[in-house]
Amino acid sequence: MSSTVIYPAQPEQILKGLGKLWTSLGQEEKQQGKPTVLRACAMTLIVATDESDGAFSASQTIAELMREHPSRGIVLTISQVAEHELEARVLAQCWKPFGKAQQICCEQIEITARPEAWPNVGPTLIGLTAADLPVIFWCRHRAALEPTASAENKAGLQAIMSIATKAVVDMQSFSAADALKILAKLQLQGKTVADLEWTRLTRWRAPIAQIFDNPARQNPFSRFKSIEIAYSGDQLPPCALYAGAWFSAPYKAAVLFVQEDSFASGLHRITLKADSEQIVFERTAKDAMSLHSTNGQQRCYTYAERSDKDLMTEELTIGGNDHAFEVTFARAREILNEQR
Amino acid sequence: MSALLQAAPEVNPLQDPLRFERRVPPCAVVIFGASGDLSKRKLLPSLYRLFYERRISPDFAVIGSSRTPMSDDQFRERMKESVSKFLEDAPFDEDVWNSFAKSLFYVAGDLNVPSSYDELKKKLDEVEQTHHTAGNVLFYLSTQPSHYAEAIQELGAHCLHKGNGWRRVIIEKPFGHDLTSARKLNEEIHKVLDESAIYRIDHYLGKETVQNILAFRFGNGIFEPLWNRRYVDHIQITAAESIGVEGRGGYYQEAGALRDMIQNHLSQVMATVMMEPPTVFDANNVRDERAKLLRAVRVMKHEDVAKWAVAGQYGPAVVGGQQLPGFRQEPSVDTDSQTDTYAAVTLFIDNWRWAGTPVYIRTGKRMPKRVTDIAIQFKAPPLGLFQQETKTGLREVRPNLLVMRIQPEEGISLRFLSKSPGSGMRVRPVSMDFNYGSSFGERSPTAYETLLLDAMIGDPTLYTRQDMVDASWQIVQPILDVWGNSKFFFPNYPAGTWGPKASDDMLAQQGHVWRIP
Repeated sequence: MSSTVIYPAQPEQILKGLGKLWTSLGQEEKQQGKPTVLRACAMTLIVATDESDGAFSASQTIAELMREHPSRGIVLTISQVAEHELEARVLAQCWKPFGKAQQICCEQIEITARPEAWPNVGPTLIGLTAADLPVIFWCRHRAALEPTASAENKAGLQAIMSIATKAVVDMQSFSAADALKILAKLQLQGKTVADLEWTRLTRWRAPIAQIFDNPARQNPFSRFKSIEIAYSGDQLPPCALYAGAWFSAPYKAAVLFVQEDSFASGLHRITLKADSEQIVFERTAKDAMSLHSTNGQQRCYTYAERSDKDLMTEELTIGGNDHAFEVTFARAREILNEQR
Repeated sequence: MSALLQAAPEVNPLQDPLRFERRVPPCAVVIFGASGDLSKRKLLPSLYRLFYERRISPDFAVIGSSRTPMSDDQFRERMKESVSKFLEDAPFDEDVWNSFAKSLFYVAGDLNVPSSYDELKKKLDEVEQTHHTAGNVLFYLSTQPSHYAEAIQELGAHCLHKGNGWRRVIIEKPFGHDLTSARKLNEEIHKVLDESAIYRIDHYLGKETVQNILAFRFGNGIFEPLWNRRYVDHIQITAAESIGVEGRGGYYQEAGALRDMIQNHLSQVMATVMMEPPTVFDANNVRDERAKLLRAVRVMKHEDVAKWAVAGQYGPAVVGGQQLPGFRQEPSVDTDSQTDTYAAVTLFIDNWRWAGTPVYIRTGKRMPKRVTDIAIQFKAPPLGLFQQETKTGLREVRPNLLVMRIQPEEGISLRFLSKSPGSGMRVRPVSMDFNYGSSFGERSPTAYETLLLDAMIGDPTLYTRQDMVDASWQIVQPILDVWGNSKFFFPNYPAGTWGPKASDDMLAQQGHVWRIP
């Protein structure tokens, strides 16, 4: 269910549009004579995107995220071809849990801005955030993140960063070196900054960490003095650098990055080497992973590329500081400096 | 001295509690009664699921044991069939199964035959080496309750109760048949095991929403001030099942609703809802408070049982066009069975917080629907500004009802009064609803997954302790005594209804009525 275009996109008008939307949903409820709609909101989720974002549908992803993280979603699309400088539309995303009569609905505001209007979007967004709840900014606007971003884009990004509690970016398409630069710059604004490249690593990190939970293990983690990270692709991906940094952070183990051909790009294999043991965790097929050790341990796992929704679901559960990422980030910078 | 000089095991620096699941130590799980229903339907599917989700240590093994002769491969094959059939809300993956199956073993043996334990010991030593289980062993007694004491004695006799790592034993309910047998069983078990090694499972406590009661009560500041006799009028706990005894007539005839549900599951739920806040959220503090609450329940005098407890048994009826048999027509049930398939009790908690507040608990089979919930009925406002006019005169409105739904639609709803839109002051109750499934869309672990993990980790918070079991038997024992010596005119409620009329009368004595959940 959505409204017509609201222009000028003043917060008061947009909120009025949202009010009307809920009233009309409530009328449906009245006609059916029983509660049919439940309004849910745990945060404001602002997604900034542009036309280069291709097939990504922010509305659809917010709707999927809603099940775990109901939010007031604000999708800000920067578009050269927008009819007005700044225009908005409100809609509700609803889903009905299987076998239940009641729909769960979250409100969504779609704002389209011309590039020159982006720096001025801040006051509009401030008026639209849900009261007393965290504001998460998911920046998918690649051009605004690039080190060579235009002044307009920089100002636009700054406008949203100033009201955000936490910013989430995805450095997958950047080189590891650029990713660190971009993140460092964002962190200067004093906000928590998360990278979905790090989130992707959870499924690699957890099984390996689990091995070292066994106090009876012959080789504790400190004996693994060198780490080899194999990746495929033209440049070192941030997740490969993070993997190396994370494993080497506790005891400053040596890290070697190896470029290999593989059936898929990105991180391919992690090898931990001790004098008397080698642990290998690798993708063995498009949908399978294997963890094996030269001491005889072996275990298979399923592998699936994690969707944006899946990554954001994990990231949105982390409200405060991510200590492991902070340590890894610092170590990643050291590693890059060492390798220069 | 050498022990002092020995280096402490290295702390795993790779842990990331923010993103990883709880750490589970390596261990072997030994299931006695491995070819039984519980293993097939719950235990193996739960263990497989934990493995699939990477939640158990890679260093683990499962050893099944029962009388049926089988090889490891035959056991794996059978379990594969069961897991793929009974896995709830989760995919079955052939590769992951193959990896999981490498850790499955089988030892055929009779619990009464000592040599079976020698075989088991041999296998445990073997997997400790091959699967690096660090000597930790979790025994799961999924056998006839009459074998519990004997099995534990044999574990002791074969030194299986101690080893290089920890040893824990999970015991399924029922813990005894009455107060005397429960005490005797505890005594026997304690000859071999320390209380800290005994994990008495009550799968109700493993349900997410039962755990959520603790979060709801003690994580929020706004409800606890109201959680007492001043504001709460009464509490109703309902556990209704729409099904009958489903082929378990023989077992059920010996147990009955009071023993099967109220003595264990529902008294534990009641204790969770009504206990005092623990000073620290750890296993012993939480269990201390549960036990204190159970000990505070007023034990009925035999002469009061007729007033505060109602037994029922379902009779045949046509429901939805289908003829349903009465309990006495079920297979393996005596035609003049006196077993209660419905039980309702009124309990009073004699402590400062709850004195005078009745707690009504009911449970039954063949009720109109499957539902388990707890309803906290708050008192009416002190001044009846919005009394409702009914045919019988003015009615006091008691709108504030907090319902914690345990199954099937887990959640919490709060009913309050609101003005109807329009002119005039017409009010109507509205409900504010929190739905567990829709607010946290991810799949909730099953009760057995939660409880198995807790036992591996060594967290007994959700397991019952000896004093809790003892206290809950004390609550129901006078009722069992009186009912055991009574002749009931059963059946007294038709299948598909909310129980016998006597149950409504029991509440009417206090001016209350059962909710329709």
